[in-house]
Amino acid sequence: MAPALAAKLAVSQLSKSFGDLEVLRGINLTVERGEFIAVVGPSGCGKTTFLRIIAGLERETAGEVLLDGRPVRKPGLDRGFVFQNDNLLPWRTVFANAIIGREIAGAISAADRNSIMELLKLVGLQGFEHYHPRQLSGGMRQRVNLARALAIDPEILLMDEPFAALDAQTREIMQTELLRIWERGQKTVLFVTHQIDEAVFLSDRVLVFARRPGRLQADIKVDLPRPRTLVMKRTNEFVGLVDRIWRMIEDDVRTAALFENA
Amino acid sequence: MSAATENANTMAPGTNTPASSGLRHNVYRSKYVVAAASVIGGLLVWEIVSRFFIANALFLAAPSQVAMAIYRLAATGELGQHIVISAAEFALGYVIASVLGVALGLGMAASGVVKEAMQPWISGLYATPTIALAPLFILWLGIGIWSKVLVVVFLVLFPVTINTEAGLRTTSDRLIDMLRSFGANQRQIFVKVSLPSAVPFILAGLKIGIGRGLIGVVVAELFGSRAGLGRLISQSADAFNMPELFAGVVVLAFAGIVMTAGFSWLEKQLVPWTRD
Repeated sequence: MAPALAAKLAVSQLSKSFGDLEVLRGINLTVERGEFIAVVGPSGCGKTTFLRIIAGLERETAGEVLLDGRPVRKPGLDRGFVFQNDNLLPWRTVFANAIIGREIAGAISAADRNSIMELLKLVGLQGFEHYHPRQLSGGMRQRVNLARALAIDPEILLMDEPFAALDAQTREIMQTELLRIWERGQKTVLFVTHQIDEAVFLSDRVLVFARRPGRLQADIKVDLPRPRTLVMKRTNEFVGLVDRIWRMIEDDVRTAALFENA
Repeated sequence: MSAATENANTMAPGTNTPASSGLRHNVYRSKYVVAAASVIGGLLVWEIVSRFFIANALFLAAPSQVAMAIYRLAATGELGQHIVISAAEFALGYVIASVLGVALGLGMAASGVVKEAMQPWISGLYATPTIALAPLFILWLGIGIWSKVLVVVFLVLFPVTINTEAGLRTTSDRLIDMLRSFGANQRQIFVKVSLPSAVPFILAGLKIGIGRGLIGVVVAELFGSRAGLGRLISQSADAFNMPELFAGVVVLAFAGIVMTAGFSWLEKQLVPWTRD
């Protein structure tokens, strides 16, 4: 399967080992511009490593990742990473945390400052610009995390279980907020999660990873209409899809749960 | 749907401020009351013991006698002279050691070679009671203030160096990853993450240095000096003048408490995120 010319992201025969431990084996994948892709799988299936390779934070052992036709070798401002732990700098305000990517890219202009203010408004943090991370709730910290990645106006948003640490209500709010923001900008998104319902609710396609070694088990299209609403989570179509994916990874999840707690 | 999400979003600024300051204020106030009561109680016991149980002026002075001695020494200007000398020795040594310690720590964190070269010396000298070298320093530099400055430098330098290096080395990998994801280079990682996250460690090293520096000044003065609080203490001991001996000790204790408290305040201003 040769990657299409217009593909935003093309991954071919991607493999990764840490020493003797084979983490990813032979991943092939094509993502179109503006697609929202979710990646699910049991712990130890290499989904986070997969995301980090695309980010350029890890190098592949074999295979290739092409972003707009160019091979990925190191991190860059065309990709925005949203971390599982918010990784905010505790000594910086919300505003100063959100702008750090721009700082690294070069000098900050007045226009940059204005666009950060706009962005903080977009993620619902207007009025909190001068707060420090310790004064914020978990949900708000993840909003800053998201704003920081969006601030460099990346072409691809790489999200590593960003809502995993949030309580169920906050998570649902953050999911709808993310979709609202995504529908404005139509960025390409790769969203790693261990929550199957979250994956189905958000994405156009769900990639199902199997473990030991991590490999792409299934690539499932989600045909639910957009914009998505929380009511959809109770439709037969939604529940059926979640159930189908769950049955795919059920055995893997049980084995994983036996051997590690993560 | 947009209406629903906007609603979830209309949390007004200010609703998330830290616990109401009134409540905290009360907690602090009651803490101070207990501390003050403890100090006053202790002084009272001391006064009673020295008046009625060990009523021998050669062994113990009552707090009231110590207060009188401090007043007397202050009035003649003698206490002031001792304090100025000791303070100068402490300040010079402390500033030199701080600057040198931070610089050494930076060097060790930046270069493996520097670290390998420095490590055995620092481990050796930090563990050694370098105060024992004070007589040697007095032989080298004379009985004036510079021999004491050198003792203070030796005592303060190592905790500052060790903490600076440790603070820079233990920068969170996650924060470094975050910067790397934006393509940050080594210099940017150092300036934007490693250095700020080392500041609490550096301050902790400087705080440890206060107590060590004060000990250095006094002990070095005991070995040989013309003036200073250590000199006041040794003179009073030779003359069996217990009130004046205690006067010197009390002034030193007060200086230590004030400087440490000032430092804690400074920490709250500079690194408030380490409070919780």
